[in-house]
Amino acid sequence: MPSYLRAVTAVCSLTLLAFTASCSRRPTPTAALLPRTADGKPDLQGIWQVRSRASYDLEDHVARAGMPAGKGVVTDGPIPYQPWAAAKKLENAANRHSADPLARCYLPGVPRIMYLEFPFQIFQTPDHIAITFEWTQVHRTIYTNGAPAPVGIDFWMGDSRGRWEGDTLVVDVSSHNDRTWFDMAGNFHSEALKVVERYTLLDTNTIQYEATIEDPKVFTRPWTIRMPLERRTDTDRIFEYQCQAEAEEANGAFERDPMTWYPGPSHPPQIPAEWTGSAAQTPARTPPAPTGAIKRMADGTPNLQGYFMADGGGANYGLGKHEVDFLTPAGRGIVVDPPDGLLPAQSWAKTEMVNRKLPERGYDDPTAHCFVAGVPRSMYVPSPMQILQPPGYLVILHERMSWRTIPLDGRPHLPDHLRLWQGDSVGRWEGDTLVIETANLNGKAWLNEVGEVLSHAARVVERLTPTDADTIHYEATVSDPLVYTRPWTIALPINRQKDELLEVACLEDDQDLPHLKDIRDAARAKKGP
Amino acid sequence: MRVFRLAGIVLGMLGLAVLPVIAHHSFSAEFDSAKPLKLTGKVTEMRWANPHAWIYVEVVDKAGKVEKWAWETGGANALYRRGWRKEDLVAGTLLVIDGFQARNGSKTANAVSILLPDGRRLFAGSSFQNKSAEAK
Repeated sequence: MPSYLRAVTAVCSLTLLAFTASCSRRPTPTAALLPRTADGKPDLQGIWQVRSRASYDLEDHVARAGMPAGKGVVTDGPIPYQPWAAAKKLENAANRHSADPLARCYLPGVPRIMYLEFPFQIFQTPDHIAITFEWTQVHRTIYTNGAPAPVGIDFWMGDSRGRWEGDTLVVDVSSHNDRTWFDMAGNFHSEALKVVERYTLLDTNTIQYEATIEDPKVFTRPWTIRMPLERRTDTDRIFEYQCQAEAEEANGAFERDPMTWYPGPSHPPQIPAEWTGSAAQTPARTPPAPTGAIKRMADGTPNLQGYFMADGGGANYGLGKHEVDFLTPAGRGIVVDPPDGLLPAQSWAKTEMVNRKLPERGYDDPTAHCFVAGVPRSMYVPSPMQILQPPGYLVILHERMSWRTIPLDGRPHLPDHLRLWQGDSVGRWEGDTLVIETANLNGKAWLNEVGEVLSHAARVVERLTPTDADTIHYEATVSDPLVYTRPWTIALPINRQKDELLEVACLEDDQDLPHLKDIRDAARAKKGP
Repeated sequence: MRVFRLAGIVLGMLGLAVLPVIAHHSFSAEFDSAKPLKLTGKVTEMRWANPHAWIYVEVVDKAGKVEKWAWETGGANALYRRGWRKEDLVAGTLLVIDGFQARNGSKTANAVSILLPDGRRLFAGSSFQNKSAEAK
């Protein structure tokens, strides 16, 4: 007997006289035994992964190439397609290797993201439930604060507004586009799609996930899928799968930078003699004094939650002070150490930074390929972010579809050979300052659009100090012995915004990269082999 | 109505410092400061995309030849936050659009601003002077 059934039986036996009626139905959550958040809601937090073959085909299916046979998850099937749509579904299935949006690493949409065979992590606060997915750093925010959905805009991932019905989280997902599928078998929808999701915690390690799908342009009636999500008890973190980055590295479209990429554990970094850095050169900086009242959590720690945007002052086009250069905006300079405000680059890196400004190197910036910006760049690109403080974490969701989940439990960094685009960040409070240390960077990211250099050897220490209710003073000290002569520090304000995040579907809509590639290819052809 | 003009933009316009800040790639890599461009034409499609939206404009030159130009603007999110809605740029809308042509010589350009028939001048998604353009 599954543990939750045993628990149900036990609770029913104890409370038989009082609750006879409720115990006679199919197994329902044992309300008293469920983990709960501080505000009394079922605690959905943790790392989860689907336990079904739904990602291949929502319906019963035989095996095909790359697709194991499996039971369907449609509770009231077959899927009730209108005749034209049934034909379209067959066409999709026949062309799935090229036509499936996931084959191009596009955003999967909802509900598909929930049952891909990749783990995700749920974070819960009274106002928002955030879900961070291993699949290409996708995230969702489910608004439980009663805020209205935006109108006149659509999203690959839809817009999610949630509410609790008893112990079930019910989420209305609307504002979809018509470009996502439900599975690899070509099941599809139109932009008229409405999804109602139901998350019910059955026991500590199982969520029953249900989604009712309504689309009057494609189906003859609403229909429902249901499947269990299982807690991943074998890991305490999500890693990454940057679908497009891996594809482009494999096919050569994105090329290795031998000076910065992590070469593997058998090639320990040879630190150039130009590195004279030591901790003594960057003494701990005194955090700025607050200029107004700051918000606090129930436990007294500063409350950094909300929608924010950094005032990077042109940092994405140069961290030091610089003038307008044609379409590249000026920057006020955010380097506060060394005192001259210039990045203390080693000689090779100075040359590399000049080279990366050439038009033909524009193609080499990972963000031009829609890859994630890395750390610290993702904090000062001119794009909004949302900060959440669920128990034990600081979570940063970037509108440019990437996330950082920063555990505050004092855990050590990952083993050195595990390298990630966003690195491995761990945080701790020092007074009212949140200190985040990041290591395990893969060395593929650029510091900005003009190609200021960061390598896999870099370690980044960020300090976030609220100075009033709407402002966070942000500092980052970068120690990169392969690139610089000493550590350096940037400082900038991060300001509260009133608007929710929208969605940046970069890869899906990008039309710039082919132009940049043309420029690069033409330059290479001119130079000759 | 569809007059094709290739006019050098007065350098003074640059003084407005209306520059894209919501980039995800190097503008100076893709576009050429030596190729300013100003066209009058009809919108054939507005693609509300991120990190950059695109306006497709059809222009007719003096010889009656139709040319199709693709104009890059700031991102759809920035436009949305500034109150732009899809009905602003439906197919058929006549506009004057200016900016800089791509280095590769294709009929692609980076838009600085558009002028709509009702006289409204809209900057193309982001202005350098508006530091938090994308969040407004």
